[in-house]
Amino acid sequence: MEWTCPFGSGLASADPVDPRVVRELASGTKERRNFARTMKQLILVLFVAITFASCKKDDDPIVPVQPPANEEEVITTLVLTFTDIDSFEDHVFRFTDLDGDGGNAPVIEVEDLPGNRDFAVFISLLNESVSPTQNITTQIEDELEQHQFFFQTVGVNLTMSYGDEDANLQPVGLINNSMTLSPSTGTLKVTLRHNPDKSASGVSSGDITNAGGDTDIEVTFPVVII
Amino acid sequence: MLKPWLLGCLFLLIISFTTGVQGQDVICELDFTGTVTDEHDGTPLSYANVLLVEAERSAIADVDGYFSITDLCPGTFTLRVAHLGCEPIERQLVLLKSIRMDLFLEHHSEELHDLEVIRERPDENVGQPNTELDKHTMEKSTGRSIAEVLAAVPGVTILSTGPTIGKPMIHGLSGNRILMLNQGIRQEDQQWGTEHAPNLDPFSSDRITVVKGAASVQYGSDAIGGVIITEPVDLPRTAGINGELRGVGILNGRGGGGNAMLQGGLKGLRGFGWRVQGSGKLVGDSEAPGYTLSNTGTREQGASATMGYRDLRFRSTLYFSWFQRELGILRASHIGNLTDLDNAISTGTPWYVADFTYDIDAPRQTSDHLLAKAEMDYALTERNRIVVTYAYQTDSRKEYDIRRGGRSALPALDIGLTTHTADASFKHWIGKHIHGRAGLSGLFQRNINEPGTGIRPLIPNYQKESGGVYLIEHLPLGDRLELEAGARLENTSLRIAKYDVSGTLLQPELEYTNHALGIGANWSIKDSLNVRFNISTAYRPPHVSELYSEGLHHGAAAIEVGNDQLDSERSLKGTIDIEALWFKGRLRTDLTFYTDKIGNYIYLRPAGQQLTIRGAFPVFNYVSTDALLYGLDATLQVAVTSRWSVRSRTSIVRGRDLGMDLWLFQIPSDRTETTLLYTIVKTGNWREIELGFTSNYVAQQRRIPPGLDYAPPPGSYHLMGFQASVTRKLRNNEVRIGLQASNLFNTTYRDYMDRFRYYAAARGMDVSLWVRFGFGRPR
Repeated sequence: MEWTCPFGSGLASADPVDPRVVRELASGTKERRNFARTMKQLILVLFVAITFASCKKDDDPIVPVQPPANEEEVITTLVLTFTDIDSFEDHVFRFTDLDGDGGNAPVIEVEDLPGNRDFAVFISLLNESVSPTQNITTQIEDELEQHQFFFQTVGVNLTMSYGDEDANLQPVGLINNSMTLSPSTGTLKVTLRHNPDKSASGVSSGDITNAGGDTDIEVTFPVVII
Repeated sequence: MLKPWLLGCLFLLIISFTTGVQGQDVICELDFTGTVTDEHDGTPLSYANVLLVEAERSAIADVDGYFSITDLCPGTFTLRVAHLGCEPIERQLVLLKSIRMDLFLEHHSEELHDLEVIRERPDENVGQPNTELDKHTMEKSTGRSIAEVLAAVPGVTILSTGPTIGKPMIHGLSGNRILMLNQGIRQEDQQWGTEHAPNLDPFSSDRITVVKGAASVQYGSDAIGGVIITEPVDLPRTAGINGELRGVGILNGRGGGGNAMLQGGLKGLRGFGWRVQGSGKLVGDSEAPGYTLSNTGTREQGASATMGYRDLRFRSTLYFSWFQRELGILRASHIGNLTDLDNAISTGTPWYVADFTYDIDAPRQTSDHLLAKAEMDYALTERNRIVVTYAYQTDSRKEYDIRRGGRSALPALDIGLTTHTADASFKHWIGKHIHGRAGLSGLFQRNINEPGTGIRPLIPNYQKESGGVYLIEHLPLGDRLELEAGARLENTSLRIAKYDVSGTLLQPELEYTNHALGIGANWSIKDSLNVRFNISTAYRPPHVSELYSEGLHHGAAAIEVGNDQLDSERSLKGTIDIEALWFKGRLRTDLTFYTDKIGNYIYLRPAGQQLTIRGAFPVFNYVSTDALLYGLDATLQVAVTSRWSVRSRTSIVRGRDLGMDLWLFQIPSDRTETTLLYTIVKTGNWREIELGFTSNYVAQQRRIPPGLDYAPPPGSYHLMGFQASVTRKLRNNEVRIGLQASNLFNTTYRDYMDRFRYYAAARGMDVSLWVRFGFGRPR
């Protein structure tokens, strides 16, 4: 938003490097006294300008012209859909933090997973703080080489393996295969790294240790296998 | 490696003391030169008599008004200047090195005769410990940032964010708790952010004064810890053009910079002077021992122009400057959450290292600072003057983050700060024992977030208006004691406009009224012992960032929550500065003791954790407490022989949170710098030959509050440096060349005051070579 004060232009005309002024002075034809008078007048005008040409009060220039822009970057929601590959039944894990970092605490919703089943796991990322809801998954799809999901389980009999790959035949993790075993309780941590080193040791098989990069998502879901 | 060096330095000190006491050859090689001219019409006052009373040495000015007294011993002298038909005029002069002074004698039979040294200080600051960095000192850090230049002053340290961003810190305080005056104008450039370096071209000034005391009486709000003053350069007053070219090559970063300056006056128009200056700097990635600090390049360019006119009654100056900077932020410091930070700390090396490049990528910052100033000074009578100053400045800052979907080219933060400042003061002379100035000052400021970043603004739009009145009286009591006392009252109002999370417009208005009082004394107990004493209050209304921050601070991996109930910080700072000369000036000691009690000291206090989609982050609330800072700066200078000397500077600062009874976070640790200097004043056409070895020891900070930091403070470190410089006269021209080397042994270290110490080590060895070429006869 452009905000200008009338004085700004007044000062510009008195720019000390103005070559014309220097040339005129260099001619040396003017008397010192004359010059002093001119100078005094110039500065007087300048200060009068400051005193009286107070900056115009338009309709409150500090009020942002529009509501703060939508936070395009924000990911409010991570959805993991476990689809049973036999029954096509969906089990949805959802992390939602509508007001972004800070503010209200996020909401975590999970469903129990049946044991000894095979699943296809789809990840989708949303920004639900804007209307209509923005699909962030497509942004990841545009930059597959620069992103990778990692899955770490604690205490739960669940395995995850990548079901997709980028142009370099390296995994991404938007689509995965999963298998549950005997009933158990624990956690599943989902991490999305931006700019990981996918060729580092163990990274392409899902080991986060050497991945590097910076974390876009790190969400831990409680998991119960029944 | 550390201990032998320390022992070495200690040994040198002992040697210097012992030889100092016994030594026979006194270093009496100082020169006092200059000119005496008539203030009124500028004619050289030939046959003026210049006398140094205690030295019993005098000189008669030649036809050009030039005088020279050579081979003087260091010390304090009474300078007496006399000219036919005038009563002699006396001034105190402390001579520690060869100096040149241009003296102006006001030469009207009916008016009081006065001697005026052309270097006129913007303010007196009686009783305040202050250090002046002159051209000679500053040129050694050619090509360095303003914070690095200032670090040569004891008590001044750098709060840095990687190798590219440095903020000066005085007595443990930085940012909005110190004030920067650029050409006499409050520098308004988003100093609230720790990753916001001052937008100031170090090339644009030849002289910087650091006042290490509370000085709100003199300068208004924010002058809690001290004031940094880049002083206006004196314009030529007579015809003729001269100039200066400076260049520097910097090894670490494989870059360099340069500056060109041209100044002159006009024939037939005495009193008119002009000056133009332009500079540039380009450095690539810095190197730490063993790896490149990727994305730490810097590009800077600046230009300034001044035009001024001055006669006996009337003076005026127009000043314009522009400074632009683009800098890269260490790529490896870009982290998503605490896990990344823990990984960075446990790995010990940056996770992202690429080949050296000059390219600057996201994360990066660009800033543009523009200053226009007009000043007018009119003498109503011989000793009563009115000074009116107006300045307009804009500061535009854009910060680019690493973003998805090709949005890295879109700034994540885009703010414009526009500030108008106006000041009118009346310098009055009530009598010989009481004179001073009274004044009014005002500020009008707007901070506007440019739309289109796609991110909720870090700080809201606001408008700030403040106005103050002040009175400072100077009370000289005899030749040896002068007092100064002053008071200021200031009102600040803030109007904020922001949208909350649900999209509702909030427009809170806040108002703060503050006052400051100060008293200071300069007491010259004897010629070799000077004491400065000052006790002053200072204030700072809370900044908008402290009132209304809300959300994740990416660089700090923390959620910061503002508090609009915060009140102004109020500081009461007392300083005593004792400067003494011993053994006929062969040993000089300067000790500054200070204590600073700050009420409502605003800081971030941990308040649990908050879960986000990126994992859990620690939450910090802006709260206020009472804080106490105290410490000591010590300088010791020994002339061992006429050529060898040793200089040592030590700074100690302690900071306590009195409310919580804890140490304060991010207070510099104890440090000492010792330099062994070898100087030859003149040999043949070569002058001012100087060789120096510097040892720099920084202790580990052990006084830390628990639970505020992600990693323990790094260990102590010791760095060695080398410097050499020489001047050569070439008729009317002069060349000065210097070599400066730091971290000579490429030591790997991390500094507690570097916010990027979690991610990478500090810069390794660096060598810079600088040249200054002055042409035309400087008058």
